[in-house]
Amino acid sequence: MAQSHSDIIRTERLGRRFRGRWAIQDIDLGIARGEIVGLVGPDGAGKTTLLQLLAAILDPSEGQCRVLGHDSVCESAEITSRIGYMAQGFTLYDRLTVAENLAFAAKVRNVSAAQLAERRQRLLAMAGLGTFLDRREGALSGGMRKKLALCTNLVHAPPLLLLDEPGLGVDPLSRRELWRMLEAYRRDGATIVFSTSYMDEAEICDRVAFLDAGRMIALGTPDELRARGTGAVFSVDSSQPAAVENALGREPEVLGVQWQARQVRFVVRPGDPLSSRLRAILAHLGRVEPARPTIEDIFVILTAGARHAADGEIEPASEARAFGPAESATSGIATNRLSRRFDSFVAVDDVSFEIGAGEVFGLLGANGAGKTTLIRMLCGLLPPSSGSARVAGIDAVTDPQVLRQNIGYMSQRFSLYPDLSVGENLRFFASAYGLGRRAARDAITWASAVTGLAEFERQTVAHLSGAVRQRLGLACTILHRPAVVFLDEPTSGVDPLSRYRFWRLVNALGAAGTTVLVTTHYLEEAAYCHRLGLMHEGRMIAVGDLASLCAGLPSDVPATVEGVFVAYIERERARMARSGSKAS
Amino acid sequence: MKPSRIAAVLEKETKEIARDPVTVAIALIMPIMMLFLFGYAISLDVDDIPMGVLDHDRSPASRQLVDEFVQSGYFRLADTYATPEAMEGAIQRNEVMLALVIPPRFHQALVRGEAAPVQVIVDGTYAASANLAAAYAESIISAFPEAVAPAARVEVRVWYNPALRSANFIVPGLFGVILMAFPPLLTALAITREKESGSIQQIFASPLTPAEFLAGKLVPYGLIAFVQLVTVIVIGFLWFGVPMRGSLGLLLAVGLVYVFTTVGIGLLVSTIANSQVVAMLLALIVALMPSTLFSGFLFPIFTMPYAAQLYARTLPAGYFVDFSRGLVLRGAGLPELWPSVALLLAYTLIVFALAVWRFRKKVA
Repeated sequence: MAQSHSDIIRTERLGRRFRGRWAIQDIDLGIARGEIVGLVGPDGAGKTTLLQLLAAILDPSEGQCRVLGHDSVCESAEITSRIGYMAQGFTLYDRLTVAENLAFAAKVRNVSAAQLAERRQRLLAMAGLGTFLDRREGALSGGMRKKLALCTNLVHAPPLLLLDEPGLGVDPLSRRELWRMLEAYRRDGATIVFSTSYMDEAEICDRVAFLDAGRMIALGTPDELRARGTGAVFSVDSSQPAAVENALGREPEVLGVQWQARQVRFVVRPGDPLSSRLRAILAHLGRVEPARPTIEDIFVILTAGARHAADGEIEPASEARAFGPAESATSGIATNRLSRRFDSFVAVDDVSFEIGAGEVFGLLGANGAGKTTLIRMLCGLLPPSSGSARVAGIDAVTDPQVLRQNIGYMSQRFSLYPDLSVGENLRFFASAYGLGRRAARDAITWASAVTGLAEFERQTVAHLSGAVRQRLGLACTILHRPAVVFLDEPTSGVDPLSRYRFWRLVNALGAAGTTVLVTTHYLEEAAYCHRLGLMHEGRMIAVGDLASLCAGLPSDVPATVEGVFVAYIERERARMARSGSKAS
Repeated sequence: MKPSRIAAVLEKETKEIARDPVTVAIALIMPIMMLFLFGYAISLDVDDIPMGVLDHDRSPASRQLVDEFVQSGYFRLADTYATPEAMEGAIQRNEVMLALVIPPRFHQALVRGEAAPVQVIVDGTYAASANLAAAYAESIISAFPEAVAPAARVEVRVWYNPALRSANFIVPGLFGVILMAFPPLLTALAITREKESGSIQQIFASPLTPAEFLAGKLVPYGLIAFVQLVTVIVIGFLWFGVPMRGSLGLLLAVGLVYVFTTVGIGLLVSTIANSQVVAMLLALIVALMPSTLFSGFLFPIFTMPYAAQLYARTLPAGYFVDFSRGLVLRGAGLPELWPSVALLLAYTLIVFALAVWRFRKKVA
């Protein structure tokens, strides 16, 4: 690798150990001025540790690291005083307002009042926060909080910006705005290093570094990396994508599968030709063609082998009926003019829709669109202001007690007990559902088998990767075999391969007759759902499968989930603006 | 140290505190509650001691002696007994704390000018009260009978707290203990809260130096602690009627120094602890417990075993308790009390320096 003295970042054999375990090891990386580099890798790969080492807020155990020409150990103050570093999650002061958070960041970074006044206007306008100056940070939506955090890190115009999962938990629209801000900033010649679990973010980098188990297993431009997958990616055009997915899921040579509207993409090991057996199976179902590899495909290729061993195998042959609800329901979810107001704020506005039994329904929408409020009402956790809802044939408004025995709800950041083991967590939730000792044992055996948790039984949850925790969350949610399952952003922050596996579980649940309502910010995942509902400012603006949603739009809209999502929201905004101007 | 950056931290911290009215209210109410609890509950005064009498003499003199006890105001006649067994039973049942045994021919001996020994039995379960009761009894008996001119009489005069009121002694000491109880607790949470929320990472990745950051944190919490001190002083003087013989200005000035010692200890704790729970427990163990037990607030330091005395002398609370009592009760000023003040100043600087040294801008 060519390294020059003008490198903004240079690491040599950089490593960091925590209690004898290497979180990051042997990293040789040179990043030139103006470059944008993405760090990609499964959970626990060491992305955060590497960023903290680069930010000089963590000392290496081995090797060294020079950032902006300074050593990260002896001259850490030189580095920390100049860079921008955005940690994962929300790290601003929630009791301070937007303006106060920004002013604090500026003052501690020696930005003069005049500079602040000029930059503040520009940054907040770009972030769309100009009208929220006096709103407390804690009262902003997730997307706005992230944008504000970015503003506080741009206020001193740093030459280097380190971002840890900037798009995590942020809706697609806010994420677009976040990247628009980053691009404007980058035009001024700054360097950006960021970690991400969104593969579309990786595509726009100058270079992508793949991390796995603390080591950098690949580094290159997106084109170079994609070249590695040549001949290993195929797509099947089929009218029965579910059957194709099913067939592919059983084949050991298939590393990963992804659905798009009428197409199933799959990845095999590069260099191995497609076996004639698989060709023969697929020939019945549709036309197989080589496809252009994406960064996500490369991720699957690079991490597939190692991940299977580390994360436990989900029984591939789990028969669908094994997932079925205790009592098969004939109806899923039906709402009629459901609304919920908080004081003057309408969180859910006149929502009517139906979901059939066994359907996997994806609920999409920006942060604050009302998805979580809707789910909480359907779970009987929050009484609606008006309207009615029936879930699994039970009235969610009048019978919430009965309802709770028949549904499973996995909330955002599902609350597992981190200091208990997997088995202890499962036993706790089984007793919370009131299962008898025998029934609890059977339920736990069953749930751990179908979610591939059997081998983790004795491990403490705090030490598990995000992907395993997420499966444990699902296991706890379905222990009592509910007829309807609600999953609120279950895959947030989880790497693509683990997400894919999680979706196979979700689809198996659906196939066995369980109704699933799921929200997600990874729009490509919408393809795994039978039907989608788009929410915007409390209203359900569109419901249907991807094909019918596409059909409802002008033909120049790209037929991707993101394209459809953005087009519907823009149309809704335009409609609102028109009706607003008419009214006034 | 850049003043503008300290000011930024100070401003931010003040706003955060001000927007958490519950915490502010608790911070202001708790010291007052503690003052009332300790001010009333801890009374070392002994009066109204229940006493029993076993009078074998039944003479005018013996009746007069019993009367002297009752008249003193310290004792209350609970019962009289006919037999030693009855008396023993009463002590056993905790009906009386002190029993007076008057021998036969007591009156006769007095009249003849002979020695007239009287026995006093004290229940020693509560050692401190028992001592006092015995001492009161002894002084009453030695003054009896007035008819007999004693060879020499000791006249005791108590200075500074002539009424020997416990409140006069407890309340000035409480100033020192209350400030060790709440400010460290509140301050210890100040940094650990940022560690838990993750906002500390923004501080790490900024030009702020540890000294600037900690100084900015110190001031607002120091001010809250100072308000606590003033509240407690005002209530102490107005409600408990503690006399003020020294300079109030000096008490407040040295109080301000002490306030920063206690807040500094809280900061030091929060640089060590990684979670709010650990920080609270540490603050309790490091600040509150030793200052209650080893500051001389309740138990004088000079009566402790030597090792405990050495330990007690490493704690700042004792010096402030000494200073506060000296000033409030004895009316002493800087010429007498400067060593305590100097030690408090040194302590404040050392604690802050330690906190700055301990606070590293690293996540691990």
